Amino acid sequence: MPTDTKRVRGPEVSQSPSLFLWKSAAKKSTASNDARVDGRQRGQVDVRSVFVRCGLISQAKGSAYIEAGNTKLICCVYGPRETERKDETDMKSGRLITDMRFAPFSCRERGSWIQGSDEKDLSLMLLESLRPGVCLHKYPRSQIEVNVMVLENDGSVLAHAVTCASMALADAGIEMYDLVLGCSIRQEGATYLIDPTFLEENGCNLASGSRENLGSLTVAFLPSLNQISGLQSDGEMGEDTLTGGVRTCIEGCFKLYPVIQQALSKAVRRKAPPSES
Amino acid sequence: MENVLCLNRSTGDTSVACCMGSLRTDDLRVDGRGCEDYRHMEIETEMVSNTDGSAKVTLGHTDVLVGVKAEIGKPRPMVPDEGYLEFFVDCSANATPEFEGRGGDELGMELSNTLYKVFNNRYSVDLKSLSISPGEHCWVLYVDVLLLQCDGNLFDAISVAIKAALFNTKIPKVHISEDEEGGKEIELSDDPYDCMRLNVENVPCIVTLCKVGHRHVVDATLQEKACSVASLIISVTHKGTVTCVRKVGGGSLDPESIFEMTETGKRVGKALHAPLMELLQEEESLGKKRQKVGFLDTTLIVAVSHCP
Repeated sequence: MPTDTKRVRGPEVSQSPSLFLWKSAAKKSTASNDARVDGRQRGQVDVRSVFVRCGLISQAKGSAYIEAGNTKLICCVYGPRETERKDETDMKSGRLITDMRFAPFSCRERGSWIQGSDEKDLSLMLLESLRPGVCLHKYPRSQIEVNVMVLENDGSVLAHAVTCASMALADAGIEMYDLVLGCSIRQEGATYLIDPTFLEENGCNLASGSRENLGSLTVAFLPSLNQISGLQSDGEMGEDTLTGGVRTCIEGCFKLYPVIQQALSKAVRRKAPPSES
Repeated sequence: MENVLCLNRSTGDTSVACCMGSLRTDDLRVDGRGCEDYRHMEIETEMVSNTDGSAKVTLGHTDVLVGVKAEIGKPRPMVPDEGYLEFFVDCSANATPEFEGRGGDELGMELSNTLYKVFNNRYSVDLKSLSISPGEHCWVLYVDVLLLQCDGNLFDAISVAIKAALFNTKIPKVHISEDEEGGKEIELSDDPYDCMRLNVENVPCIVTLCKVGHRHVVDATLQEKACSVASLIISVTHKGTVTCVRKVGGGSLDPESIFEMTETGKRVGKALHAPLMELLQEEESLGKKRQKVGFLDTTLIVAVSHCP
């Protein structure tokens, strides 16, 4: 097991005090039925409003920052660079390398700097979601690195990471077929919560009563081409619920599309050299 | 998964055309199967005597061995009255030369993470039955998967093997006794046959559907996998509920294709459970009279081949 020898961590048996708060918080959440905690509605395509900005990091070829509610993510793109590994048999197209990390202070419980299996899984999902959107055949023998850092985790991290990464790729000038947008949904019985917060994603395990459909779904979508590039679901759902959930996520992606396009065109105008007149 | 596929890229474009051509017109694949047929599957349980439960599944040329060991551990702080399962998939260098050294780690990690997602719901395994004393002791089931041979469709073989191994798992019964100072002691019952079995009715099975051309196929061989741009992994319980869906591969899929593939996956997955449970129960009922085949498949004792 890899251990962190560079940092002095607290004793192994230390636990976060928030564990002991859990029971009182659960009672409050089961009270409200229709409205969600932040005022959005259940059962409606009500994504959180998003703040996006490109071109923050001067050293990176392209970068983007996204803020949705309290979820904050930053993404940098480096490349195309010469590929380090020469043993790839398929040298006709480039490689996309993704890395998604959580800052230790991003979640409720302090995480570690060493990449856990969750982070590796998310990096892999990010790679699979972005790959269909990037024209890798135009960058033979090169690699493009995408690094996403989650500064604060307040739910639907993967979905926003996909959006942020595709904006950073566009900002870096990497050729793409289309922007890849992500949207996630939490299914609870008959209703769904689109773009769930951290509490909504995890709090329902404590809700009493057997609910038929209880799960989460994340979809990565290319809006102009109408193609799904990434799909991941968890929990248990009937097939119709799953199909309905995918359609809802696609709607959520369409709602985000104009905002992202606007942010990108602003960034391009800022970067462009001033006109002569 | 890409590393494993590189073996077959050298077969060239002619075989790709051949695979896709017959699929387009009729329901015929290169080896004569229909689009929804599995290859010949063999399952045997109780292979390894040191484990609490084990199973070996051979699906075509894919060979998977699963061992389950039950240990007493501390329950997770968030859910003090439940036990848990830990998955680990080891891609040994025996399977393909690409897995030598650290090569198989990535694939193993991907497989383990998917297994965690598949079992991450309340109904698959009754975790409350794994609790010994809430907050202090619980059973932890370490499910270790070993890939012996790799010929495509790893997820399906692994999920069937896990279901068979969990069915075969015998967890010893324990009693908690309190001594004078108030400390708790765990006592194992003396009778080696006094054990608890798990209810594997709700354990899901994974179906991998590969998109080849305009159609999708179940149980793709490595050759067919090389022709496909993307696949969908769907895990289905015997009731038809879907516990996990994941798209893998470097291509994108149309939403309509995904809906079609989900429907097929659900149908195929649902139909897989009944013959599997029947078979496992039949094998169990043979008891001591059962002839053990072991690792050499000279005689066919236990076999299931799925034709919808």
